[in-house]
Amino acid sequence: MLCEKCGKNKATVFYRETVNGKTTSWSLCQDCAEVLEKKGDIKLDTDSFWSDPFADVFGGGLLQSFFGLPAARQIERGKKCTLCGATFDDLVREGKVGCPKCYEIFGDELEDSIRRIHGTSSHTGRVPSRLREGFDRKKKIAALEKDLKTAIREERFEDAAAMRDELKTLRDAGENA
Amino acid sequence: MIWFENDGRDKDVVVSTRVRLARNLEDYPFVSRLDEPSRREIIGRLAAVYDGKNGYRQIDFAALPEQERRSYSERHLVSREFAEDTCPRSLFVSENDGVYVMTPEEDHVRIQCVMSGLELDEAYRRAAAADDLLDAGTRIAYSEKYGYLTHCPTNLGTGMRASVMLFLPALTRAGQMRSLQNQLSKIGLTVRGMGGEGTAADGCLYQISNQITLGVSEEETLKKLADVTAQIVKSERELRGKVTDDEKLARRDRCRRALGTLLYAEVLSSRELLALYADVRLGAAVGDVDTKAWAIDRMLFTSLPATLVTMAEKKPVSALERDKCRAENVRLALAAE
Repeated sequence: MLCEKCGKNKATVFYRETVNGKTTSWSLCQDCAEVLEKKGDIKLDTDSFWSDPFADVFGGGLLQSFFGLPAARQIERGKKCTLCGATFDDLVREGKVGCPKCYEIFGDELEDSIRRIHGTSSHTGRVPSRLREGFDRKKKIAALEKDLKTAIREERFEDAAAMRDELKTLRDAGENA
Repeated sequence: MIWFENDGRDKDVVVSTRVRLARNLEDYPFVSRLDEPSRREIIGRLAAVYDGKNGYRQIDFAALPEQERRSYSERHLVSREFAEDTCPRSLFVSENDGVYVMTPEEDHVRIQCVMSGLELDEAYRRAAAADDLLDAGTRIAYSEKYGYLTHCPTNLGTGMRASVMLFLPALTRAGQMRSLQNQLSKIGLTVRGMGGEGTAADGCLYQISNQITLGVSEEETLKKLADVTAQIVKSERELRGKVTDDEKLARRDRCRRALGTLLYAEVLSSRELLALYADVRLGAAVGDVDTKAWAIDRMLFTSLPATLVTMAEKKPVSALERDKCRAENVRLALAAE
């Protein structure tokens, strides 16, 4: 996640302040946080400021603040995970997720917290073997589609025809997998 | 062989490399919601994966005496949480590869590879090979969107935490650690002092690791950590070289006095040992003494409190006996090089 102030650096400081019942929160980079503190716009103390979100998570407790931060999405009360029986309130209270299925059941509710922690919410990298073939195929299809467009634009119709055939074979294999 | 028994790359600055992968099995709740029968079932399923055929041996970790469990964490072979927990759990060890599989830890499975010196790619390759075994024998919890699903969302994605333990006496002395910490936090890396304070008394040991696990591939994370480590190694070496003749003499003096104390002391507290370790290790790196960096690491990591008690034939009882035992161990370790 990028700093909300400069929009350039990665946000590493998460600030939350409640005045007269109105909560303001900021995700800032170290530099902007220091500038704002000097200007007196924000007051950095242990209750409302943490420079390293992970240190506290390991010590327990902080995730509650993460989950508990005002979420843009509406939380559906009483919804339960079908595998472990946890409710979203349980996740907030425990500061941890109940089971793999919870990520699916509470996907919408968790999305903001996950973005806040990692700055993104989609995985890049290693894939379990059972899905590896499918992923490689998808990657190949995406690359071929791009090449195909280029070939058509450059009027290399023979190449384009070969690519179209290859794409069909790949897509058929995907449907039969 | 345990990592500190070996020499390693860039050993004058890099003490060790560690790569850890967090994994969970698809059909079970995460650890905080796991009942004991399921816990035992998971251990049983891992025993079938990490068996003798694959070069692993199983240790019933909960059955070990407390000191021995703590010794594993002191030597950085398992996490502190795993060593302190008392629920049923097992450790699967492949000593040749330096791979330690903890089950269950905070996640059902934590695969860890520890190696001497700077070996990020190789440590990852070995951890990934252990992951392949798990993958072939079980269904690992995974989603296309979030990657490997973990108990704590901070580990989502690759589930990988890669870290290097660095010996940085010159940067510490120059008061650069705070600014290094700030710089690294901007690019998603964390620096932690091993003893907490970042003073010479901590042995000038620091651990640098990645914070982010989602949206960055394993290779990118490893490359970033390797690039940053290479830069730190370079600055530390430069600073070690940039000293006046007087400072050189003082450094050599400190190193040799420290070595003298280590070789002849009758009692040694762990705090004193850490301070002496830093002086001798720095002297060894710049050629003030012939002792090898890895031998100094071995001396330190076999002389920490729980390890000392575990290894000793006659168990020390009082603090004084333990310090005496430590002094003996240090002498032996230095003589055995």
